[in-house]
Amino acid sequence: MISLRGVSLVYPNGVRALDNVNLEITKGDFVFLVGDSGTGKSSLLRLLYREAKPTTGEITVDGIRVDRLRRNRVPALRRHLGVVFQDFKLLVDKTVWENVAFAMQVTGAHTRDVMRQVPRVLDLVGLSHKSRMYPGELSGGEQQRTAIARALVNNPKILLCDEPTGNLDPANTTEITALLLRINLKGTTVVVATHNQAVVDRMRRRVVRLEDGRITTDEERGYYYLGLGQGQVLSG
Amino acid sequence: MQMTAIGTVAITIVLLGLFLFVRAALAAVGAQLLDQIEVSAYLRPDATQAQVAAIARFLSVDPMVASAQYVPKRQGLAELRERTKGTIDTGLLTENPLPDKFRIKTRVPDDVPAVAASVRRLSGVDNVVYGQKIVARLLQLGAVLRRIGIGVIIVFFAVAGIIISNTIRLTVFARRREIAIMQLVGATSTYIRLPFICEGLLDGVLGALLAVGLLAAARAALWPRLLEALPWAQLAAAPVDLRVFAAELILVGAAIGFVASWLSVGRHLRT
Repeated sequence: MISLRGVSLVYPNGVRALDNVNLEITKGDFVFLVGDSGTGKSSLLRLLYREAKPTTGEITVDGIRVDRLRRNRVPALRRHLGVVFQDFKLLVDKTVWENVAFAMQVTGAHTRDVMRQVPRVLDLVGLSHKSRMYPGELSGGEQQRTAIARALVNNPKILLCDEPTGNLDPANTTEITALLLRINLKGTTVVVATHNQAVVDRMRRRVVRLEDGRITTDEERGYYYLGLGQGQVLSG
Repeated sequence: MQMTAIGTVAITIVLLGLFLFVRAALAAVGAQLLDQIEVSAYLRPDATQAQVAAIARFLSVDPMVASAQYVPKRQGLAELRERTKGTIDTGLLTENPLPDKFRIKTRVPDDVPAVAASVRRLSGVDNVVYGQKIVARLLQLGAVLRRIGIGVIIVFFAVAGIIISNTIRLTVFARRREIAIMQLVGATSTYIRLPFICEGLLDGVLGALLAVGLLAAARAALWPRLLEALPWAQLAAAPVDLRVFAAELILVGAAIGFVASWLSVGRHLRT
């Protein structure tokens, strides 16, 4: 589903965000991208939805060579992906309903399809009863759920999450992560970049670790920190 | 912010409208004057009947000549008396000072110098007069107006375009968060552009409407006074169809608004 081969990303200011990254993600996978801040997690995700172009290497997403995509084809790519951000990125002057519907409307969907699909995803994230509220009236967790609903409204095959629980308290963090898991169980490939150790350790899924722009480990049922599975305990 | 754009565009179009109107008026007046230019070919006192007949024949076959009339001195004096009645007492004249002449009119004002030159060479002709200096100046004025006109119009377009472009850019900047979110969600550039294009169009059209209103009001208020001061200005009114002119100005406003906003949004989206 997602494939990166020999991908490097060097920013104009000379910073090497990614260095010869090779990664294969199959359909239906749930992958954590972990690493401390600045190790390249966000950069990797940005390459997948073409917010940046790789300096070298090939990137394929659902059969499309994303690195070779023409600029005017990028909107079409993004309509087939769902992206969730740490700061939610909701339109503050639109209601929950309107924010979610908006992602469908920009694809030119019929109103009747919008009327059918939006309640469905709102129900999935548990916000049906708050569809008329504005982001300013919602809690952090509810705003993120709205963002997730928006990301899902076009039935994407892939959901990319860049620190989705970064602005949330532990309770909301658990809720959101559980939601992402439910979404994955329905068949969506989910990639979550995070530096939330607790979540990663609790879920024991595939963990891809990044350090200085390079992938150092890739474990099927991993922990946030290496070697924890062998009984090592961190102090504190 | 929007009011400033509309207001400034209005002023620019008012100036443009005034300029175009004055230019058309000058051109019309110039054309009228040129139309009335008569070439007077004064004959020598000793010109023979044969020479006069030859001149008449020459004039009748010349394709540039529209009409030629022989005016003997007695008729000339009568016309002079008529023209100067009340200002000069021609009764004081003891003898007729005027020569016989041919009154020539050309088909096209531009041919006047050429016709005058050819008639002057005929035998029996003493002098040919047609207000040389005025004609040369009017022809020159016409050419200069045409050339300046295009340059000025381009400048006016550019100014109005820049003003609208800046307003749109401010709006785009103020809404950059929403635009970024729209792009992330997969909206095409055209979809994002649309509301801004509409705003630019509206600014242009409203500015032009305001300008047309101001120009119409100015005309209603000032036209009678202008006619008082310059009676011959009446001639200038005819060639300009005001309704068509107004429609053209509004189209100009819309075009400027559309192009300016298209370009300024496009610049933002590319980054």
